[in-house]
Amino acid sequence: MNVPEDLRYTAEHEWVRVEPSGVVRVGITDFAQDSLGDIVYVQLPAVGSKVSSGDSFGEVESTKSVSEIYAPISGEVTARNEGVEASPEIINSDPYEEGWLVEIQIADPSEVEALLTAAAYAELTQS
Amino acid sequence: MTLLASPLHERHAALGAKFAAFGGWEMPLEYAGGGVLKEHSAVREAVGIFDVSHLGKARIAGAGAAAFVNSCLTNDLGRIKPGKAQYTLCCDEASGGVVDDIIAYLHDDDHVFLIPNAANTTEVVRRLVAAAPAELTITNEHRDYAVLAVQGPRSTELLAALGLPTDHEYMSFETADLDGVELTVCRTGYTGEHGYELVVPAGDAVAVWDRLFGTQVEARACGLGARDTLRTEMGYPLHGQDLSMDITPVQARAGWAVGWTKPEFWGKAVLSREKADGPRRTLWGLVANDRGIPRAHMQVLAADQTVGEITSGTFSPTRKVGIALALLDSAAGLGEGSQVEVDVRGRRSSMTVTKPPFVTPSVK
Repeated sequence: MNVPEDLRYTAEHEWVRVEPSGVVRVGITDFAQDSLGDIVYVQLPAVGSKVSSGDSFGEVESTKSVSEIYAPISGEVTARNEGVEASPEIINSDPYEEGWLVEIQIADPSEVEALLTAAAYAELTQS
Repeated sequence: MTLLASPLHERHAALGAKFAAFGGWEMPLEYAGGGVLKEHSAVREAVGIFDVSHLGKARIAGAGAAAFVNSCLTNDLGRIKPGKAQYTLCCDEASGGVVDDIIAYLHDDDHVFLIPNAANTTEVVRRLVAAAPAELTITNEHRDYAVLAVQGPRSTELLAALGLPTDHEYMSFETADLDGVELTVCRTGYTGEHGYELVVPAGDAVAVWDRLFGTQVEARACGLGARDTLRTEMGYPLHGQDLSMDITPVQARAGWAVGWTKPEFWGKAVLSREKADGPRRTLWGLVANDRGIPRAHMQVLAADQTVGEITSGTFSPTRKVGIALALLDSAAGLGEGSQVEVDVRGRRSSMTVTKPPFVTPSVK
């Protein structure tokens, strides 16, 4: 499984990338997309919604199952990837780049530090 | 409980299959580099090969075997000639509920071969043995044979490349020889496409599998995930979901597989009564009007009242929309074109009632 070094992760198989602008970009991991299989539907939160870390804020559904997505961090949703809403299969083919889901303006930058490192996440997926 | 494995298990593992439990067997769900959508479209557009060795096999042999089977199972073997197969049901005598749906191969008056579902084979055999006269031999041959389904518009080209019979009629079967392996080639399948099912001695399964993938016709290995989306697009029932001990053939609109005028079959009295009175609920198709994807056990609502329940639901890869089979209460008066809502995890999804299939079949 591909686990890029420069990202942070959650135990719910999501990744977080801190952008230079200070927002974080969120998506699901390679492990998550592989477990789900072909993704056919994504439901994302509205831009402007306030989310708290751990809240369920959307769904990713494959041909065979549905998985909730959780806010990895607290803040306000500032962008959603309309590309994956139109073509959910992008999440399967490119989960860390084109397949991102939302951007969140974070309230407390220290929350990022509490997330899993790539090494810790890689270990989690192997256990 | 330990899961049983197909004789092709190592071939699947080498292809990077993800496995799942089906009726007590560990079978491929999908393959690396494939996935449900690619495997589904391979069958609709070219050819896919499924290992369905988990399906049961049982043999009834002896004087009057066909007449005995005909007095138990619902469909009328009198409608077909030896060398043909038939979709039929094993119903419960008292309730009319469906113990299993089965393909029956009529060899001759004294020999019938059955393909029940994996999880129900033991029970079907038990019921047949309990009812059979002493001169008949009924054997559960579940693990003696592998079953390979070769399905799709290029399936004929593929089998022809191996010199296997291909020009027989839909639902008929022929015995053939492939490198000294005797196998049965039946013009059947559960995908809605032109195709074949090969019944192969378990010990020869690997050799036959390798030959099927060794022709110039490029075939894709397909898992049971794609088999489910393909059969749902056809409105074909899956036992345990759309047919069960609680769902009769009258409710499931499977009356076409019942020989109503036969002198007897298990459940005839109770099912004939239900047919005459009209079932309290009927199986319909639903097509989503929005992006909702219906799933089994979701509630169907009309005017805010629960009017039924989804029995099978998925995303249709061909139509790119949510589709479902649902048991709808007759009292609700719904029919073709009626608008209903489905409770998709707390959200209401709008759907239109329709008669399956959802995609035009091309089996013949």
